[in-house]
Amino acid sequence: MLPKGLEKQLNILDFSLTSLWRRKLKNLSIMLVFALVIFLLGSFQMLTGALTSSAEAVLENTPEITIQKMSAGRQEAIPLAYIEKLRSIYGIRAVIPRIWGYYFDESNLANFTILALELGSMPFDSNLNLTLAHGHFPKKTEPGTAVIGRSVQDILGLDKRRTFSLFRPDLSLKSFKVVGVFSQQTDLLSNDLIVMNLTDARDLFGIPVSMATDLCIYVANPTEIETIAKKIAVLLPDTRVLTKSQIQKTYQVVFSWRSGLASICLLTALVAFAILAWDKASGLSPEEKREIGILKILGWETGDILAVRFWESTLVSALAFIIGCTAAYIHVAFFDASLLKAVMVGWSVIHPPFKLLPSVTLADLLLIFTFSVLPFLGATVIPAWRCATVPPDSVIR
Amino acid sequence: MLIELDNTTKIYNQGKPNEVTALHGVNLQIEGRTMVCLQGASGSGKSTLLAIIGCVFPPTSGRASIAGKQLSRMPDRFLTIHRREKIGFIFQQFNLLPRLSVLDNITLPLLPLGISPRERKTKARKLLGQLSISHRENFPAGQISGGEMQRVAIARALINNQPIILADEPTAHLDSRLSMEFMQIMTDLKASGKTIIIASHDTLVSEHPAIDKIINIKDGRIDVP
Amino acid sequence: MRPSHTLFIFLLLLIIIDGMLYLHAKRLSKDLKEDQAIQAIAVAGLGLTDLGVATEARYTRHPAVSDPMAPFMDHPGAIEHFPTGSFWSAPTNMFSQKY
Repeated sequence: MLPKGLEKQLNILDFSLTSLWRRKLKNLSIMLVFALVIFLLGSFQMLTGALTSSAEAVLENTPEITIQKMSAGRQEAIPLAYIEKLRSIYGIRAVIPRIWGYYFDESNLANFTILALELGSMPFDSNLNLTLAHGHFPKKTEPGTAVIGRSVQDILGLDKRRTFSLFRPDLSLKSFKVVGVFSQQTDLLSNDLIVMNLTDARDLFGIPVSMATDLCIYVANPTEIETIAKKIAVLLPDTRVLTKSQIQKTYQVVFSWRSGLASICLLTALVAFAILAWDKASGLSPEEKREIGILKILGWETGDILAVRFWESTLVSALAFIIGCTAAYIHVAFFDASLLKAVMVGWSVIHPPFKLLPSVTLADLLLIFTFSVLPFLGATVIPAWRCATVPPDSVIR
Repeated sequence: MLIELDNTTKIYNQGKPNEVTALHGVNLQIEGRTMVCLQGASGSGKSTLLAIIGCVFPPTSGRASIAGKQLSRMPDRFLTIHRREKIGFIFQQFNLLPRLSVLDNITLPLLPLGISPRERKTKARKLLGQLSISHRENFPAGQISGGEMQRVAIARALINNQPIILADEPTAHLDSRLSMEFMQIMTDLKASGKTIIIASHDTLVSEHPAIDKIINIKDGRIDVP
Repeated sequence: MRPSHTLFIFLLLLIIIDGMLYLHAKRLSKDLKEDQAIQAIAVAGLGLTDLGVATEARYTRHPAVSDPMAPFMDHPGAIEHFPTGSFWSAPTNMFSQKY
């Protein structure tokens, strides 16, 4: 036996549910649209949050300072002679030149990232072989060898074959032998990667011996990074100096609300709910007015009728929110965020598998809630107030 | 005296350009356990009089005592509660919710009272049995005949054991056989102790032997013959 | 059955599903920590600066180290990178060139 107050609320809830069910086509459609918008927003937030978290976790180990030479606002090759100049700065532990760039495979329309550096020279490259599924990294004594990412292996059909060729700038071919493949665990970083010796990279890109793409700087005292970066900027004014914190910060904002797709998702949500809210606020239909008049004359208080309207809106919006968010998680966690992934990777033929933990933070849930549920609930205040003004004697006349 | 109106006046939109006086100093007394027929043309103030007797709104001035409570200065909430407890309405158009079942329509007045579904169904089924429409219990109210709708409306008016029944043109959409059946039910209710007020032009109603009194209203005043 | 009871059963079902997803998230988090440890080795050993997600353009593949001009066309005939260009916003370190 429930207390009368609770029984009354359950009765009102029952009535609200049957009221919703009486117009099931309309209400289920609203809930579906609602849930879809929340699903879209939720998927976007969970996916980008997951990528941001992944980036945060692994880019902790990115080079402390990276120097690029700039000309007319664009990056160009940096002279190795700059390394000598850097020796004058106290506190620099190591300067590692790297060559990296992009190779566009026309037959497959794939963009590979080519990376070359002197392995063994990086301060933290012990255990690097753990990143491989099998094989080893190219040795200095092994010219023409490369370690490739799994997508590179797939695209170039290197399951059975062990050799592939790339075009030099003069369109002559350079052969490589695959001596290692990155493991699945590193897919998010290495999917499109081809790692080779510095000599091979120079040969492939036609970069002179005296140049490199950029310089990685490691300092003795990590707290001195900013100070040393400033000194480098003064010493080498034609360079761009990037610190680890700047690189890490990129991923905190790359999916910010300013990025186009985020804005589209949010705007879509807003527009959808503006339409819904307008529909709700545009007044009561004659049938609704009649129903309210009948209930009032039968002894329902205005508060009871407001409670019915409130429950109706809350049920639709809350259920849509839960279903939308649940579907968003399942979409990102189990289906590779396939709907958004197509947009995110664009025209590239290389699709890294998204083994990501969907980011579900209170802040994100509140954001979605604010852009979806609150406007909808808010819109019920106006018509609910209007229902209070339906006179009970309207059914007597 | 169960219903007593003393110099009751009702003015709509008082003080505004479209001010209308619907009732002018109406005096009315209705005893309990009687059946009264209220007659009046459209615009005569009949609906306003019904609304005041039905505790829908209080009079603008004068006294109105319904089932022991003074309506004047009664807040809306208490008016609603009093109406719920004392008045059962039977409307001209029946005013059932067509997509709701017969059972759910009948128990509508009980939902805000915190009465459990089992208790509501028990009460409703008893009335359905008395009115011989138990077989329509789960039908949507919009899919039953006019006569059956009338019975459902009666059952809804009785569900809370209200002592006063107000019926507004209850036979307007019924043939003479069904109208006679309706009057028989009203007669039985009167015998059981209910007070019944029927607003109707139908002579089948006004000339029924069970009618104790006929009240004529014209231009907002009780027409004393 | 009372409509509110049906609702409660449905809500319970959703809670069970969400509970299972929560447990899945916990297990996935554990798996990912192992992956991230390996990824961290790759980043440290190769000096990587970006996730390899969108390989369509250099500023989508390497947003952290692309030069400020990269999001803009290299020449008038270069095709705009849509939709990735609208997904990956321009590198912000170009706004904080304080050195």
